Order: sequence, then structure tokens, then C-alpha cells
Amino acid sequence: MKDVSPVFPGAYIPYGAWGGSWFPAWHTSALAEVDIARFAAESMPLILAKKGVEISALDYLVSGSTVPWLYKFWGAPYLSHCFSHRLPGFHLEQACATGLQLVLKASAHVQGGSHETVGVLAFDKTSNSPAGVFPNQGTYRRTEVISDIWDNFGYDPSTGQSGFSKGRGETSMIACAGRTARKHKLEMNELAEVSYTRYRQYYDAVDTGALDGILFPLTVLDVRGKKLGLVDGDYGVRRYDSLAQFKAERQLDTGVTAGGQTHASDGMFTLLVTSEAKARELSPRPEISVQLVASAEHRADPGFMPEAPAHAVKKLLARTGLTMDEMTAVYDHNPFAVNDAVFAKLLDYDWRKMNDTGCPLVYGHPQGPTLVRVIVEALERTVKKGGGYALVFGCAAGDVGIAALFRVNDSNGGNPA
Amino acid sequence: MKTMRQSTLTTLGIGPVLGFFRNGGPPESTESLVDAVFGPEGDRGALVISGGNGIVGSGKAMQLGSRLLEYGVPVVTLDLPDAPDGIGGQYGGLKASFGRETANEIMANIVRLNYGGKELPPALAKFNPRFVLEAVPEILPIKRAHYELMRGAFPDAEIRSVTSGFPGSELGVGILHPSFPHPINKVWEVVEDEPSAITRLFWSLGLVPVPVADYWSFILDVLFCGVTLAALRYQRASNMPFWKVDKYVRRLVGPNPFRAHDAIGPGASFLTWSCLHHLAEQYGDLFAPENQLVRRKESGESWYSSNRPTVDWELADEDEFNAWMLGPLFQMTSLMLHEQRAHLSHMNAIGELCAQFTKGIVATARNTGADEVIRRVETYHRLHPDAKNGTWHPEEFDRMDTPEWKQLYVNAEHDGEAGAITLGRESLNWDVIHELDRAIDWLKEERIDRVVLTGDFHLTTQLVGADTSEFYPALHDREQSYKMSKAWSETARRFNDEFALSVGFINGKRCLGGMLELLMHCHYLVADQSAQLGMPEVTLPVLPGMEGCHWPLRRASREQWPRLLAILLGGRFVRAKDTAGWLTDYAGPFADAVAVVGKLLSGGDHGLRRRPLAEKSFEVPAEARELPPAESPAAEAARKAVMDCIRASCAAPLSEALVVQARHSAEFMVSQTCLRGAIGASYSKTMDV
Repeated sequence: MKDVSPVFPGAYIPYGAWGGSWFPAWHTSALAEVDIARFAAESMPLILAKKGVEISALDYLVSGSTVPWLYKFWGAPYLSHCFSHRLPGFHLEQACATGLQLVLKASAHVQGGSHETVGVLAFDKTSNSPAGVFPNQGTYRRTEVISDIWDNFGYDPSTGQSGFSKGRGETSMIACAGRTARKHKLEMNELAEVSYTRYRQYYDAVDTGALDGILFPLTVLDVRGKKLGLVDGDYGVRRYDSLAQFKAERQLDTGVTAGGQTHASDGMFTLLVTSEAKARELSPRPEISVQLVASAEHRADPGFMPEAPAHAVKKLLARTGLTMDEMTAVYDHNPFAVNDAVFAKLLDYDWRKMNDTGCPLVYGHPQGPTLVRVIVEALERTVKKGGGYALVFGCAAGDVGIAALFRVNDSNGGNPA
Repeated sequence: MKTMRQSTLTTLGIGPVLGFFRNGGPPESTESLVDAVFGPEGDRGALVISGGNGIVGSGKAMQLGSRLLEYGVPVVTLDLPDAPDGIGGQYGGLKASFGRETANEIMANIVRLNYGGKELPPALAKFNPRFVLEAVPEILPIKRAHYELMRGAFPDAEIRSVTSGFPGSELGVGILHPSFPHPINKVWEVVEDEPSAITRLFWSLGLVPVPVADYWSFILDVLFCGVTLAALRYQRASNMPFWKVDKYVRRLVGPNPFRAHDAIGPGASFLTWSCLHHLAEQYGDLFAPENQLVRRKESGESWYSSNRPTVDWELADEDEFNAWMLGPLFQMTSLMLHEQRAHLSHMNAIGELCAQFTKGIVATARNTGADEVIRRVETYHRLHPDAKNGTWHPEEFDRMDTPEWKQLYVNAEHDGEAGAITLGRESLNWDVIHELDRAIDWLKEERIDRVVLTGDFHLTTQLVGADTSEFYPALHDREQSYKMSKAWSETARRFNDEFALSVGFINGKRCLGGMLELLMHCHYLVADQSAQLGMPEVTLPVLPGMEGCHWPLRRASREQWPRLLAILLGGRFVRAKDTAGWLTDYAGPFADAVAVVGKLLSGGDHGLRRRPLAEKSFEVPAEARELPPAESPAAEAARKAVMDCIRASCAAPLSEALVVQARHSAEFMVSQTCLRGAIGASYSKTMDV
């Protein structure tokens, strides 16, 4: 493995001290009925306990989400109050890049020495998302009413208000995917094959237990303290048995079908960033070290979000001097099959070698925690393969692409200590 | 007098119990003790409660004020001018307990004085303080300064501190440490060289003084703070939220420590920290406070979130949880045993009466067995190695075969001619049954065939029936339920079958359910006339499973059956004074009732006719007269089940009735009617977490 100096050499991610909820599709689980922030904050210590980590080991918390939640004003300090360990910290958001930004910020805090062990907590709930009323002098009513999820998915104010498009519908996420497919002349047959492959990868991962130890069943309580429901699956994932089913689906825009795009969902994910010594202490397999090596971001031309991650990865590779062939695991947040196809085209990389255990195209898209799950699955896959580099990337609202490289060293060569 | 183990009453300089019946009552009257403490009528002094507006001070002003009213002892409360009014807030509870008129009289007898903390108010002197109960904050210099102030002004006044943590040797005064909730909890831990008139007066007023040794933090606080610390350590190791830890702690040992702290108020965490801090200084890391507690000692932050929980938790490892909880509690108990901090029955009862323990810690250790106790502590040391740096005396558990360990709840005494078996637990459980059997065996070995069965005049102020938590294992197990009903009934029958003469004596406020069934097996039942008697089983509902469904009918005339059926089927309580001749054999004023028992035991002229026990089968009419309609279909079903049991067990000869009623009891206990009732609900809440 070619050695590349990590950007935060003092920051480590304790292997295994991570996990999250399954991502049930919106309105398919008890999560639709509860405060997702409290759910996430209460689930974090539970998941860490299963990995043998005392929540009292944390001395800072960075949290992230994109959909407004009750008491969001109070941010990470409130979330840590929910698990009775009063921590300083802050809350951030950057659409679907939130999860990776959290890891970057946590690493920076550890590297800077301000805190030793930083918890990363990401969550979002698209079910029953709030609506906001904002003053807007530019409109006839002087106010704008925004249904947080669907109005934002359907309208990009950067492009919509610049006169780029004729109507709001053409500034939507789906329109971005269709426009990108046309620009890069992506064939429907190939996109259907991408989708079919991604679903097979996910089904195989679930069936073989590859996600056990990453995703945890969680029992949601009602206000009386009685069981409201058990969240133990990525509810809403459709079952496709053949490639033909993907090909037969109606195109919502060029190359975009129901099976070729993600769906809204709910969930949470957590991991830790800490010093090297502490990472060994907190990890159930201290012989494995995990570090963030580098990251890159790119903003694509207006309305071409799906190609942005590929440009970010190109920057990342150029900066590190690595090539795609040197990647042990490649995972991305892909709201559309178009993302993977255009990435393969721009990087000259076989999309079949990506996302071995699943991806958001299949299991859903709760924004905030999405990239944390992607990172964790990529790191687990890298460990499974004996170590190396894990490349993680994804797109985010505003035609943004974000990419990061992680290095996994296993001093025991894949044998648990 | 020979006793199975030391009577707890002798630790107060009173007793043993059999002496009451031999001598016609307790050695001292309340009036004489009031005179001894507050001076004779005409020169009667006052009770002064310093810090009277605090939680302890105001609560005890009510408890003592209500009892001292009839003796003309004024209660003076002393506090800082800016202390929030704690006394006024007690009025509602007082009114609910005593009615408006008496509540007003009690409040009228409480004089509230303010002072600046450094000089006493001049008005205090005219009340002639004779007994000062200090309830000022748990800060040593403040307490000491207060004693100096009081002694300077009133050198003859007796001073006692309510401190939960400072030993008397540090304070220079005796200790009367009360228990939460202060207006109603009767238990006081007492530290003094010899039982004083104050302690005996408290007992005579119906309170429960319990002598303990003079060490840092008394037994209640070692147990309560100890269980809190154990729960905190488990919480840290498991990340489990406080509310859920509470549920598992309650299921295992009884208390829910975090909820209790929130209920007591913001100062509770400081008190717990203070107790553990001092204990850790004395005994090492076994008691070292956890950071969560250290944080809260100043902030007063509550343990429960204002939010309802959203995510459920489950125990990952039951055995490990048990070690986290019971390990430190057993280790702390070994320390208290080593230091001989109290009579074992006291040590045990304090947990039950004051800290919500389902079963006292000594009984828990006994039932666990010495080897297992030691194993749990050793497991705890592996989980939390710092605890090894504290005191640990495993050898103390080698004495479990001694009478002190074996008779925690039941004692037996005799004077060569007659004996007394005393109950030191208000509710009946398997421990009490086993101890009763051993007490009976002991008296028979001692060739005593005349016996009185009674409360112990100390740790029991009433007898409330079966401990319903004992029913939990039987709720889903018919055979377990049958076994319990049969075994408990067989023990009760021994009072009828194995003595030439047995007397059940009811001396407390009430005697209900299983306890009444137990006592009614005696040849004579004598009661203080003010006691309330009842069989509330039908309201829970369960069936009276200790022969209550047939035994009293066998001893009453047919004309009296409607009264018995009203109790059994309606769950009504009756005053003992109204039960002579059909439920009791005598009910009169306390002194007279004691004298009757004395005559029965000595074979004197008691004037009572022993009511015969019908041994043959007989028929009971299916319809009970004078009963109001049942309030619900469930109540109707319960009533029918009780009636079926009555008719079936009466239709059997005495020799077979025990098994018949046990079968009925077992059948009902596993029924949906029972499971949906109070015990089923209590089971779900406590055990099904």
C-alpha cells in the first residue's frame, strides 16, 4: 500500500465502535411518530454499549442533520443531554454531505487537541417533516411556505432563481439526473444494469449477514413507555428479481426510473474519532487502525449534481497521487444510478467493483446519516479484504460532490488479535 | 426469659414481648415518658425543631406535632427568615389524615420562629425548650455552631441531630435519623449510648426507633446511597439510561434510586454524594462517588429527563447486572456486619421500611447463600477492580446458621410456661413462613404448649397480609400457586394443631388478608378494639388462600355467616370492636386486651369460651345477603370465585378442606381475572420490564 500522509495524523476512527439504525423508508416505521433527534441521541449510547464503549469516554459531540427537528436550536449539547452525558459540541448540516463533513470536523478537533474523543452523530427523518413559513419580499405574498423535504427536493434556488430553467420542475433532483444522463449519453440499458447489480449486492449483504454488527434493531417507545414498534430493517426496499423489471420501468426523466433512484427514509448513524491510543482502547479490534487520509470537494455546473462526485474524486486522486486501482473498497452515496454510471465513465472505472454491500440507491436516503453509513460499510469491507484504502464519495444539494479517502491498517493481517 | 434470638425491643430498653402479657402492658406509659422528656404537666417544655421549614424539619413537625398534641407539648420550629415556608405546605396532608378540625389544632400547636442563625430569638425561651431536634443543612461547622448556640441558651435541653451521615462522635450530640417520606415514615435510626427516654417515648408514640452504631453514614444511607452508587456504576458501564436502570434495579431489589432522588428533590443528590464521599474517605473506593453524582451535587440536576424515553433498552447480561448491583451491596453489608452496626433484624428491616427494598439486604444475602454472595462480590471486583480497594469481610457470611441470621422476621420467647411468637414483618412471605415453622419447632423443643402469636410491638405497627410480590412466580404457574397456598396454610394450621393453647393477638392499626388468616388459626383471637380487620383479597383480586374461605365459617354460628361473607365477598373492613364472638374472641381497649391474653396464657379466669371448630362438611348458601352489587364484571367474577371456594372448601371435611381451597386459589391465580387485576398489573409494571 502506497503511503500517503493523513491530513489529520493524530486522529483515528476506532474500528468497530460504530453503527446505526436501519433506514426504514419514510412512513414505514415507528420512527415516523417520534422525535428523531432524541431517538438518535438515545440510540447512540445503546449502539456504543454493544461495542463495549462507555459513553462517558466521549468528551465532545458533533452532530448533523438536514431536516429541522424539535429544539434544533440547542444542537449537540441538547443531544448529549438526551443521553445524560453533558458534552460540549455543535451541530452542522450540508445536505447529503453532512455525514462526511462531521467526520472531517471531528478529526480536526482531535488533531487540534481541543478534545480527545469526539462522537459523531448523524440523523434525519423525512417522515412527517416540518413545514416552515419564511418572509420572502420577492414574492407576491411576501412569504414562502416550504415543506422541508419535498419542496427542497423539487426546487434548487441557486438554479431556479437564476433563470437557468423555465419551470421549477426542471430544477429538481430528478431533472439533474436526467440532464446529466443526456450530457454523458448514458444508456438506459446500462443504468438498469447498474440498478439491478446494486440491488443484488444489497440483497446478498443482508442475506449473508454482512450488515450485522453495523445495523441494530431498535425498539421505539410511545409516550406511555410502551413499545410503538421495532425498527429492524430497511423497510421499503423493493424486491427485484430480474434485470427486465428495471428495464420495464417508466422513465421519470432520461435514465431515471423508480428502481434507478433512491427513496426518502429515516435513520441515524454514529462513529467516533479519537487519538491513536484511545482508538486502540475503544476498538474491539485494536490491531486495526483507521484514519481519514484526505478529502476533496467540487461544485459542478448548475444542474449537473450527479457528476460532481466524480470531479471531487479526481481532485482527491490528483492530490494524493493514488489511482483507482489502489482502492480496496469504493463506496458512494448514489441517489441515482446515473451517479455510478457517470462516475465510471469519468474515472474509467468499472462500477461493478463499487458498493459491495449496498448503497443509498437501494436502502434509502435520510440525508444526514447517509454518508456515515456509507463510510462504515466501506471501512468494514476494507477490513474484510485485509486493509488498504477506502474511497467514499457522494453528491449533495447544490451540485456539490464530496470525496474522502480512508486508510485501514490491520497489523495482524486480517486475523483478529 | 429465654429467646430464640435477642428481641429487638430489648435494644430500646423495653420488652421482651412476652413480658407485656405477663405484666399487663409495656413497662412505661406514654404519659410518664412525656413527663420525663418534656417535664411534668404545669412545667411542660417544648419540642424545638431547628430548620423547621426544610423537608425533614417540616415533615417531622407534623409527625411529632400530631402525636404530642394530646400531651400539651408545644412544637416550636426555628428557621432563617428567608427560608421558604415548608410548614404551610404540610397542611393538606395533615388535613387528609386527621380532618380539618384536628389538623387545625395540630397547626395551632406549632409556633414558627425566625432567627438569623447566630442569635436565638428571645421569644424561644418562654417555651422552655426541653428537646431540640436539629434539622439544619448537612454542613458540619453549621451544625456544631448551632449546638453551641442552643447549649449556651438552654443547657438542660436534650439535642438530637437528624443527620444522615455525620456520626455522633463528630457532632457531639445523639442522632435521630429519620426516613423519607418524613411526615409518615415512622422509622428513626437512633445513635445513643443507652436507650434514652426520648427513644422510649418515640416508641410509645407509635414510632419505630432503631438503634444503630455510631459510624459515618448510618445503615439507611449505606443501603440507599449504596444502591444508587451500584446503579450509577452499572449505568456508566452499560450506557443504559437512568430510567431503564431504575426499572431493572426495582425488579431485582426493589428501589428505583434515580426516581427516588428526583422525588426527594434537588438536595437529594448532594446528600447522597456527601454520604458516599465520607464513606469513601473512611473505607476506600468501594464508596467513591461516580462523576454523574459529583456533577449533580451542586447543580441539583434531575436524573430523569423531562422528555419521555424514545428507545427501549434490554439487559445484555442478567448475571452481570446482578453482580454490578448485588456485589457492592453485599460487600457493603459485610462491612456493616463486621462493624456490628445493628441488630440483624434492624439492618434488614431498614432496607424494607425505608429504602423500598423488596426484601431486606440481610434476608437477600441469606437466601442467596454465603458461597454465592462471595461469588457475586468477586465477580463485581472483576467488573470494577477499584472496589477491591475497600473493606470486604467475606467471613461475616459464615454465620448464616445462627438464630440471628435465621430468624430475621420471626422471634420466639418463653418463660418456661408460655411462649410468644412475634412477627417483625408487616406482610407475609416465604421467609416469614419458614421462620414461623422454625419458631414453632423451637417452642415445641422447649416443651412450650401455650403460645401467643402477635406482632413484635416494634418493627410491625400493623399486619397487612401477604406480600403480593410473592405471588409473581405463581401468576403463570398453577402448581407453584398451589404449593404456596398449601404450604402457607399448613404452617398456619400448626397453631391450631400443635399447641394446647394458642392466642392470636392483634395490636396494630390493622390486620388484613393473609395475616388475619394466619392469626385466626389460633384457638383464641384477641384484638385491640381500634384495629381494622378485613379480607381485601377479592378486591385485588386473589382468593384468600390460607383457609380464610372456610376456617372462620367453621368457627362461627350460621347466623354470623353473613358478616363473614360480607368481609370475604365485599372486601369490607370492620373495626375489631364489632367482631367479638364471630371473628375475634375478644376485642377491647389495649390494656384490657393484653390482660385477657395474659390470663389465657396463665390459665387465669379470662371468661372466654373457646369457639368450636366444625370438622365436618357443611353447606353454605350460594347467595350472600346484604352485599352491594359488584362494581364491574371483573369484580363479579372475583366474587363468584371466592364464593365457589367458600362453598367447595366448606363442603369438604376439615381434613380435606386445605387442599380444596388451595386448588381453588391456584386455579384463580393463573386466571385472566387475576392477571388483569392489581397483582397482574403490579407484576407487569415491576417484573415485565
